[in-house]
Amino acid sequence: MSSVPTTLLTLAVAVLIAAVMPQNAGALGEASRFDVRGLEYGGGNPHPRESAPRRLAWEIRKRTSVDSALEPTTTRLDDAALFDVPFLYWTGDAAFDAFSDAESTGLARFVAFGGFVLIDDASASGSSDFDASVRRELSRALPDHPLASTPNDHVLFRSFYLLDRPEGRVRGPDHVESITVGERLAVLYSRHDLGGALARDNLGNWEHSVVPDGETQRERAIRFAVNIVMYALCLDYKDDQVHAPFIMRRRGG
Amino acid sequence: MLESEAADAASTPLDAPGAWGLAVPGGSATAMVLALLITALVVLDLRTLRALPSRRRAILAGLRVLSAVMVLLVAVQPTVRTDHLEEDEGRLAVLFDVSRSMSVRSGTSHRIDAVNELARRWAGSSVEHPPASYVFGSSLRASGLGEPLRASDDDTLLAAALDSVIDADPEIGAVVVVSDGADRGGAAIEAATSLGIRVHTVAVGADETLRDDGIAEASIDRVAFLRRPARVRVVVRRLGAAGGPIPVSLFDGERLVAEQIVEVPRDGTAEASFEVNLDRLGRALYSVSIPTPVGDAVPENDRRALLTRVVRDHLRVLHVAGQPSWDQRWLRGFLERDPTMDLISFFILRSTTDMVMADASELALIPFPTDELFNEHLGSFDVVFFQNFEYAPYAMEVYLPRIRDYVQRGGSFAMIGGPLSFSAAGYAETELQGVLPVEVLPRTTPASVATTSDRFRPEVASGMERHPLVMLGADPATSAAMWAGLSPLQGLNVVGRTRSDGSTLLVHPSHRAGSGEPLPVLSFSEPGRGRSLALMTDTTWRWGITTGGETGDASFYDRFYDRVLRWLARDEALEPVRVTTDREHYGPGARIEARGRLADARHAPLRGYDATLSIIDEQGHAVSGEVVVRPNEAGDFASALEAPTNDGGYRVRLHAVPTTAAPVGSDEILAEEPFVVESGGDELADPRARPDRLAELSEATSGMSIAAPEDAPALSVFDATRVRTLGSSTEHPLASAWSLVLLVALLGGEWILRRRWGIR
Repeated sequence: MSSVPTTLLTLAVAVLIAAVMPQNAGALGEASRFDVRGLEYGGGNPHPRESAPRRLAWEIRKRTSVDSALEPTTTRLDDAALFDVPFLYWTGDAAFDAFSDAESTGLARFVAFGGFVLIDDASASGSSDFDASVRRELSRALPDHPLASTPNDHVLFRSFYLLDRPEGRVRGPDHVESITVGERLAVLYSRHDLGGALARDNLGNWEHSVVPDGETQRERAIRFAVNIVMYALCLDYKDDQVHAPFIMRRRGG
Repeated sequence: MLESEAADAASTPLDAPGAWGLAVPGGSATAMVLALLITALVVLDLRTLRALPSRRRAILAGLRVLSAVMVLLVAVQPTVRTDHLEEDEGRLAVLFDVSRSMSVRSGTSHRIDAVNELARRWAGSSVEHPPASYVFGSSLRASGLGEPLRASDDDTLLAAALDSVIDADPEIGAVVVVSDGADRGGAAIEAATSLGIRVHTVAVGADETLRDDGIAEASIDRVAFLRRPARVRVVVRRLGAAGGPIPVSLFDGERLVAEQIVEVPRDGTAEASFEVNLDRLGRALYSVSIPTPVGDAVPENDRRALLTRVVRDHLRVLHVAGQPSWDQRWLRGFLERDPTMDLISFFILRSTTDMVMADASELALIPFPTDELFNEHLGSFDVVFFQNFEYAPYAMEVYLPRIRDYVQRGGSFAMIGGPLSFSAAGYAETELQGVLPVEVLPRTTPASVATTSDRFRPEVASGMERHPLVMLGADPATSAAMWAGLSPLQGLNVVGRTRSDGSTLLVHPSHRAGSGEPLPVLSFSEPGRGRSLALMTDTTWRWGITTGGETGDASFYDRFYDRVLRWLARDEALEPVRVTTDREHYGPGARIEARGRLADARHAPLRGYDATLSIIDEQGHAVSGEVVVRPNEAGDFASALEAPTNDGGYRVRLHAVPTTAAPVGSDEILAEEPFVVESGGDELADPRARPDRLAELSEATSGMSIAAPEDAPALSVFDATRVRTLGSSTEHPLASAWSLVLLVALLGGEWILRRRWGIR
């Protein structure tokens, strides 16, 4: 974790540089921006952490060079606009209706054509109804691609920040699950209520307490979310050989 | 019982020797099992005869053995197959070897001289049935008996010649081969025996004592890799002289590259090897040589030419992106999928204004190694992509002139759009502008003017329909339909105009550039020896997932970038002007089939040009007349040329000169393809005569083997009798009632005697 003086110094330098740098890095069009696009579906609760996507978009823009859309959109799996944004944030905390055939086909094609799906179980319980629904729909849409445990030495844990394990509002399992298509993770399933750590109201207050480590854990959860977005955009870039000596040195290897 | 098979009723057998064979229908294994079983029974039965007097015991044992043999024969029913043959008087053909090995000199004359003398002798003598006369080497041709023969063929393929003789005249019964026996094709015995012809041989050069230093083998990797050493292997042979050192020299054109001295034993060989570094794609020509000693029998084999094709083993690509985005993600995914590519990526994950809220030790970020990439290793990349990348924050202005020079020296550069690219990055004010195909707007241009954000489907620019970067279907019409079916792009970097040395392939359907031309979306140019591409959008990823969602086919993105990469990497198949030859090595005066394409930079058939093909030597001097090239409507052509008569490396040159009908400012066009002419080549690599091979051939086919041309008898002496199979018959000699009667009689006689002599 960074110390307070270091953070303040970083902030001061950044503000100074921002003042003298040209500010013409706006996107050519909305399609160029990274959109934390939420998934709408029937039944259940598709928006258990209403403000989380917006907060994630903001954190990405603040912390990285990614140009994110600060007002994330939503879509359905049977909507043709599904393929306009290759990122999908699928969250909930309760059982939901079975997908229609069109929705199931949409999910399969979205993944096959290169889309990335982040699933976030906001119930953060050992065996939730949301979890059962998710597994049901994944096995139906992607029968040849089962969920599997993702090791914590995966590039996902060093795509921007150096992390040791997945984080969220709760400490949760020590791993995430994922579906791999070809060489890339196409579906990532977190059961740590990632959105719960990100959700923040309009007054700037965090909406949920983070347990057990409080704010330090929240920071780690935000970093994990940033890493997920970086992985979706850069794939295994940080596995390139040129990065290896730097990362090993910082990890103390 | 006789079953006649395929007998020729019209033929008149002169003699029917009747080759025959014995067969067992159930197979020899079955017969063996039966025999063992019956033998065991006989042996067991013999034990019952011990009490009898020896005479009676012998009679009963004999009967039992005869019965057992009869049982076995009746059980297995052996068959007798008889082939019915006929012999008749076939025609005689004479085959004279005119390969270049027949030009080898022994004493004061050449091998071919002795052949000519023999041919004249035979032509002067009268025979009842004149033979068919042919010459052979790399092919078989009819030739009048006694006509002067010249040793000119660059190969010796006797088996193919025998096949061709029988194809030409099935009545041939025997062939007289007059040759040095240095057959390079092999399998002559197999060919002759399968054809059923008798081969008489007359050996030429059998008694020679050659004094020759020569290159027995010379090879270079047939396919070599760019910027990697290729291995050259040379085997030197010495014949008829004491062993000693021989210098072996390697040349690149006329330039001596390396030399080695090898110690060659008498009548033996020694090997030299070299490594050469290849730094240009396409065919590369080298040669190796040794000195020609006094009295050398075959000076032609003292120099060999080596031709290799230089290809890339790995395409080295540098991919620099100014920020993570879907466009950068899709391009990396595409580049990464090709296992033959060395991909070096650098993405700017944080800018100087970003607040990462962490110490550097908590980040996986590394410094951008600008000096290493753009100073030390730039020249090692085949293609450099700048994707939505601004140079200024990384103090890269000092490297931009290097990138310009890299392109002009032959590198390939692509700039892809985005909010950080083109005018936003200020490239108009840099040296890089000089190698871009479009005029970038000044950096001070307001963002509202320098970019658009509307959705649009780009259209193929007029006249560019055949360019390989946009003709992704089989023809322009199919390609246009493909472009029209794509998901729209969104947003564009606006440029001033297409530069005079650039061309635009894709345009915005409605917007105009400041120059009034349709707003360029995709443009290219070829500054100096390099290639440059400008793609003014950052949403081509929509040709993948978004088009896939709409049409079910997400492959267009990969298809487009595959073409981009191949064009930037100078894939020969995408070049508008090219010429190739049907072979790489030719003998002197051989026919060269040249094919190629003559199109303009837009890949449209070239109009208003006079185009010719000619042959030039390694110094660039023309060594042949010019052949006019007449391309078809697609720009493709095919023409024949005659190889030079002198050994060496040459090039077929395609030369197109603009006429008054060509557009103003049109330049001459040149394309070349190297090839080699060798009078020595593999044919003379081993100049020794091989009379032993000829003797084996004649022995295997019941022909005469004559040791020297002067010993050859008159043509009438050669036996041209041929043996033909009329058919075959199969008999089952034991498939009759008499066999059973005999068997019953044997068994019955034994039974009666056993009863009478008190044995049961």
